[in-house]
Amino acid sequence: MSWDLLIFYYLAIVMIVSTVLAVFSRNPVYTVLLVLIMIVHQAFVLLTLGSDFLTAVQLIVYAGAVLVLFLFVVYLINLRKETQLNIFIKRFSLSFIIFLVSMFFLLKNLGVLVALKPTFPAYLPFDLEKNSNTWWIATYLFTNYLLQFEILGVILLVAIFGVVFLIRKVREVG
Amino acid sequence: MEWSSWYSIIFNFILMVIACLVVAGIGLLHVAYLTYAERKIIARMQQRLGPNRVGPRGLLQPFADMIKLLGKEDLTPSGVDKPIFWTAPLISLVCAGTGLALIPLWSKFVLSNINVGLLFILALSALSSYGVILSGWGSNSRYAFLGGLRASAQVISYEIAMSLSLLSVVLMAGSLNLQDIVKAQLNTPYKIYIIPQIVAFVVFIISAIAECNRTPFDLPECENELVAGYFVEYAAMKFSIFYLAEYFGMIVMSALAVTCFLGGWAGPFEIPYVPFFWFLVKLYLLLFFYIWVRATLPRYRYDQLMGLGWKVLIPVALANLFVTAVFKLIL
Repeated sequence: MSWDLLIFYYLAIVMIVSTVLAVFSRNPVYTVLLVLIMIVHQAFVLLTLGSDFLTAVQLIVYAGAVLVLFLFVVYLINLRKETQLNIFIKRFSLSFIIFLVSMFFLLKNLGVLVALKPTFPAYLPFDLEKNSNTWWIATYLFTNYLLQFEILGVILLVAIFGVVFLIRKVREVG
Repeated sequence: MEWSSWYSIIFNFILMVIACLVVAGIGLLHVAYLTYAERKIIARMQQRLGPNRVGPRGLLQPFADMIKLLGKEDLTPSGVDKPIFWTAPLISLVCAGTGLALIPLWSKFVLSNINVGLLFILALSALSSYGVILSGWGSNSRYAFLGGLRASAQVISYEIAMSLSLLSVVLMAGSLNLQDIVKAQLNTPYKIYIIPQIVAFVVFIISAIAECNRTPFDLPECENELVAGYFVEYAAMKFSIFYLAEYFGMIVMSALAVTCFLGGWAGPFEIPYVPFFWFLVKLYLLLFFYIWVRATLPRYRYDQLMGLGWKVLIPVALANLFVTAVFKLIL
């Protein structure tokens, strides 16, 4: 077994375990923390695939911004009642149907899942020896995917306008 | 694999561990004497004497403090969330200290020369806010919780201004690698980026002070409202880990400013056998500035702090980025 594969299995197992624990955890703050562990390991998976830029962006955007906002939300809303709710479905018939459906899809795609094997070094459509990862991503973003990039920018701008509009309304009322 | 390659892997690994330990040790020594320097300088500015009992001129004071903190009883309040209470200081320390590994101390020495070094330091400072938020929540105390909430809002707001000011440096240098940024600076007519990027430098310094929760932006640990802020409930070693993290943060931020704006290891002339001489001179000047600011300025009010961040620093940094981009296009 090579080093790369060993590291990959470590990362994969930690990601799966932390995600499962996050789903079943009753304490919302613990859930966010377990998701944080998952995201940090995901960033390292990107690093093993040779994409250092995406690693840094993943850490900054998801771990540094999105999850902090999640923590804020968890702090600011009152979750007393929700933490007491049952996380499993009590009715046997309903849970059995859900189990059958999910097993059907799992077995249907089992062949694909088994055939998937991690390949090292990962397949990348560009030459990392010639230029850095950041350079390639920027080049693709501003040539092949320029329209999509611009549309995303406009969508984000609309979201910002929406926030400003909402706050203005609150101020006028209050 | 063959034995020779295994040997080289193990040899490189041991070499790397030793280099990391040396850098961490030097960093810790700097932290220790930074506390001493802070107390001495502030005492001087307030016409006091400062620590002068332990050793000549109080020079051994940091070690006395350290032994005192280590010898104290490690209290854990009964209401705390133990796992979070224990991990929060470690997150703070690791995120603050790891930045040192990415700073090029001189042209041939950097622990980890990665292509996105600048982004990685920003990521670490983004993660360091977890230490503050979690310690505030895990302590299960009103004061600590309020301090944690304030700190996270502050850190997130000022990170944007800091990233934007650093982006204009990246635009000028054309690289995210810290070593390449220093080399690109040396090729410009002024040799340092502070002259064309003075606006970005000012924005960066202000937001770096806010990132480290230092006066005048030390709202999270504001004594007269929140006792000590997010680490009220911590005692002994865990308390000192928060202190270590704060001073490590100051050192990393100053080192980043030296690397991105002040020309890194380069100086007016070469000093033989001491290649990091100029780096340290600039670093100490910036650290002195930090302490000077603390002794001089009163604390901001919280809404003023947020107003400064969102209404002044971010627009200024954005405008500066825009102007830099336009110049880069024209020239």
